[in-house]
Order: sequence, then C-alpha cells, then structure tokens
Amino acid sequence: MQALPSTSANSPHARRPRVWGWVLLAPMIAWLVLFVILPMVILFVYSFCTRDDLGRVVFEFTFDNYRRVGDPIYLTILGRSIAYAALTTVLCIALGYPVAWFIARQREAVRNTLLLLVMIPFWTSFLIRTYAWITILKGEGLLNGLLLAVGFIPEPLTLLYTPFAVIIGLVYAYLPFMILPIYGSAEKLDNALVEAAHDLGAGPVRAFSEVIVPLTWPGIAAGVLLVFVPAIGMFAITDLMGGARVPMIGNIIQNQFSKAFNWPFGAALGVVFTFMFILAYALIQRRGARDPHS
Amino acid sequence: MKLLRILPLLVLAAVFATVARAADKELNLYAWSEYIPQSVLDDFTKETGIKVNYETFASGEEMLAKLLAGGSRYDLIQPPDYIAEALIKNKLLIALDYKKLPNFKNLLPEFTKMPHDPEQKFTIPYMAGTVGIVVNTEKIKEPVTGYKDLFQKKYKDRIVVLDDGRELVVAALYTLGIGLNDITPANLEKARPVLADWFKLIKLFDSDSPKTALLNGDVDLGLVWGGEGAILWNEDKKFQYILPSEGAHLFVDILAIPKGARNQVAAHKFLDYILRPEVSAAISEEFPYTNPNGEARKLLKPEQLANPASYPKIVKKLDTFRHIGESSTLIDELVTDLKNAK
Repeated sequence: MQALPSTSANSPHARRPRVWGWVLLAPMIAWLVLFVILPMVILFVYSFCTRDDLGRVVFEFTFDNYRRVGDPIYLTILGRSIAYAALTTVLCIALGYPVAWFIARQREAVRNTLLLLVMIPFWTSFLIRTYAWITILKGEGLLNGLLLAVGFIPEPLTLLYTPFAVIIGLVYAYLPFMILPIYGSAEKLDNALVEAAHDLGAGPVRAFSEVIVPLTWPGIAAGVLLVFVPAIGMFAITDLMGGARVPMIGNIIQNQFSKAFNWPFGAALGVVFTFMFILAYALIQRRGARDPHS
Repeated sequence: MKLLRILPLLVLAAVFATVARAADKELNLYAWSEYIPQSVLDDFTKETGIKVNYETFASGEEMLAKLLAGGSRYDLIQPPDYIAEALIKNKLLIALDYKKLPNFKNLLPEFTKMPHDPEQKFTIPYMAGTVGIVVNTEKIKEPVTGYKDLFQKKYKDRIVVLDDGRELVVAALYTLGIGLNDITPANLEKARPVLADWFKLIKLFDSDSPKTALLNGDVDLGLVWGGEGAILWNEDKKFQYILPSEGAHLFVDILAIPKGARNQVAAHKFLDYILRPEVSAAISEEFPYTNPNGEARKLLKPEQLANPASYPKIVKKLDTFRHIGESSTLIDELVTDLKNAK
C-alpha cells in the first residue's frame, strides 16, 4: 500500500509521453492491422481450406495444400525464382553501388539533379516501360537495328523471350531501389574516415572493404531487401519479356487465383513465401547488427 | 430547434430518393475488356436515358470469383459459355423474359440451345469465336492444316501459343482423338508426351495479345484466338487463319442476368438492343469476332464476311468447352510441370 503513492507520483511524467506515443502510433497500427495482419490471417486460414466446384473456398481443414507446396515441381520453381532474384540483386549492387557513390560525392546541386534522373522513370507506368523494352529487344527492334547498321552482327540476335531478357527487365525495374538506399548511407559517410584509412596505410581495396562497405552496409542491406524480395515474386516481367516460358513462383501463385481455381493452394504458397521473407529479413538484420562489433 | 433535428432526416430521405431514382436509370454491366464499343453504350443511353456502368474483367475466372464474392450488384454479366454453364448449375442466373426480347429471333439457330444452356432459358449469345492457327505465309511456304503441321521441329522458336493451359491440353487431346471435355487424369497422361514435344518448340506463351509477336516478326506461326487472327488479317493479308483439321474449339461469350440484379427491366432492354441487327453489326465493325446474329450478318460488308478468322471455313464440327470444375487444377499442374521441365 505504501509503494502506491510513490509510483503514482512518478507516473504522470512517465505515462504521458507513453500515451501520446500510442496516440501518434494509432493510425499506423490501425493501418498495419487492417492491411497487413488481417490479410495475412485470412491467407493463413485459407491455406488450410479446400475449395468447391466453382473455386469457392470451403472451410474444411486439410494439410494437402502444404503437402503440394513440397512437391519437387514447386520446389524447383521456387529455387529458380530465388536464383533469378539473387542474380538480379548482385547485378543491381554491381551497377548501383558505383552510381550511388558517385552521386553522393557530387556538389549538392548536381546531386539533386542526378537523384531526380534516377527517379524520373517512376513517373511512367511500370508496364509501359516494360513494353518499351519489348520494342528495344524484339527481333526487328531498335537494338538489333542499331547493331546491324553498324555491322556489329551479321543477323538479328534473339534477345526477347529469353532468360537474358528477363534479367534485363528485372535489373532495370529494381535498380533505383538499390541506388537510393545506398546513396542514403554513402552521402552520410564522412570523407575524413576514408582519408584516415589512407593515412594509416590502407590501399584503395582495403579502405573500400574495411571502411566504406561496413559504413554503407545499412544502405546495402536495405537495397538487398528492396530488390531481392519483390524480384522473387515478380510475374509481369517473366510473362511479358520472358514469353511466359519458364514459370516463376509469382506466376504460379497468380495462376492459382485465376485459371486454376485454387485459392487455398495459392494461399499456402503465399504463406510459405512470407515466412521465407521473414527469415531472410531476420538473417540480414542479424548480419547487420553483428558487423560493427566484429 | 425542431427543424434542426429533422433536417438530417430530410437530407437522408432526399438522398435515398435520388439513389432509388438513379438505380432505376442505371445498368451495371460487368463484361470483358475490349469487347463492347463505347459508341454502342452511348447510343443506348441516348435512346433510353439509362446510364451504363461498364466494369471490365480480363478472364472468365476473374469474373466468376468477383461475382461469387458478392458485394457488387451487377445487372448484366458477360461470362464465357463454360462459366455460364457453372452459373446455371449453381442457380446463380435469372431466367430471361422472352416477351421483352422480340429481337431474339434474329439469332442464328445454331447459336441457341447450346450445350451450356440446353433449354435456352438464361443466356443470350453476344459474340463467338474459335481458336485456330495463324500462319505468316510470307515466311512459311508449306501448307499448314492442323496441329501436327504447326508443331514441327523445323518451326522451333517460331511459334506463339495462348498462355492458357486448357486450350493447349485440348489441342493435344484433339491430335489423340480424345473429346475436348474428357479431362481425366488418364487422358492428361496421354496428352503429356504430346505437349512435352510441343513445348520444346514454342517461343512464347501469350493470351493477352499473341498478335504482337506475330506483327513484330518475332514468330511466324501461332495458335491464337480467332479475334486476334481477324485483326492480323485486317492488318496484312499474309496472316492466314486456319481451323485445325483435327478439330477446333468454339467459344461463345454470352450475356446473362445474375441473381441479385437490381434493374432487370434495364437489363432486358439492353439485351434486346444488342440483338438489333444494326447494333450487332456495329459491334462486329469494331471487334471482328464471329457474329451469331443472322440479321446482323446480312448488314456486314463482303470483306468482313470474307475474313477467314471471323467466319472460318468449318471442316469439322466445332466443340464448345464445358464446365470442368476441379479438373482445372489437373491441367494447371500438368502445364506447370511441362513448362518447368523445358
């Protein structure tokens, strides 16, 4: 009983910011519950259901959908999707890192112009930009026309509807998502630290790998997540630029909700997929947390 | 004070009144995209004062899912034949009142009492079409008459096909002499090696616009919708459309009134309007599918009727799809497996 007054004496100061914190967070929490958690719960419930003749979800418990996810067909497709997304991520880092670094080292006016240029493609619909790539890569397209005119190649190359075209499409679509977060970390990096590394005898390679990369790691990690995760699920590019020849996990899930009339199986694929993302995210976070200590 | 208290009620009543009147003068139409010309809808509104809310879908399955989910009240829907059959079986359509459809007589008899609606109680055919082979005759000199001529080793990487598992499986079943609606695990196993060979030759799968790759010159042969074939032929006569000799699939897109429709009167008015020869001919002008309206066909120009993709030479009886329900999963699994193995 005696402890009570003392806590209540402290609480007005301690509690008020907490209450205000919750009030400020409320819209965001409501948004997350409504549009993230609730749909995930629905997906989770559907994934254990069956369906009727018209494709309606029937609430009858079954594990069959998950058993089917384990089928070698879908595991290979998942593996392929991961491989494509990984290659895309690596290419995005290779292309995006120098660009981001270069932009970050410019005068402010130049920097802003360059950043604007990176973002300009977003002003046009993603699908229209993908169709533009079809015009460039098709058999009688711009690229082949140019190469033929210069005499670089004797006959048109087969570019469109190949895995090569898919990778081009993916890298093109996600490159800005790699450049922007890396730019964010590179811009904050104090040049004095790089100079100090040089003064202490580190060559360019060592300064890069032991100073620059660890300091821009948060940007790289964010970029990897922003590129790798959506690239796995992408289905429009594989359809349009890959000619829908090689299925990706995104195509398979999309099919379950349309032609195949099988929402529960699509939901099961979605749930497995989501858990994989959470796992990947946790791994990257841990790596990021551990790095500065080592 | 009193007035202030009543005011919201008055406003509410007024709102209800306008909503009620608006519903009377509105028709909620749920139909395929790129299928009903805007001018046809505008003329209907001009004549009757009924506003048409045209909402679109891109596949029959998408339409069915949205219809079953409820919530949206449609007065008129435009499913493909096999989806209409499923809707009829599940009692989700309202029977038509033929007294309000005097123009029904304009339809050709072969497009009535079809397998999806044998008693002709629920559905009105809108447009029909086939799935057939398109050949760029400038590049391919040898005659192509059937699936077996299309899928030859020498045409490797020169073929576009519909990205539609069922259409591909059916084509394979035709070459085996199996009926197109006999989707059983045993028959699919028989179709598997045929499709596996075909898939090695296919350059791309595209249901949305297979004509694009043909026009771009990326491929020279295709298995495409008749409508696409008709547009290609209009573009350039080198694109010839052939119905496969082994057999071909005829699809009919129909108009029907779903359960829960609010404005059945307007729906019937619209149906009868669409059945008028001049309206139906105007639709054919913009979208060159096969017109099931006999009187409308008399109004078409000779070159429209000469389009081999709109009005193909029928060698063998055409078949329509039936509702196959859960077998669609078997098809999806087979096609996924084959694409994956390629």
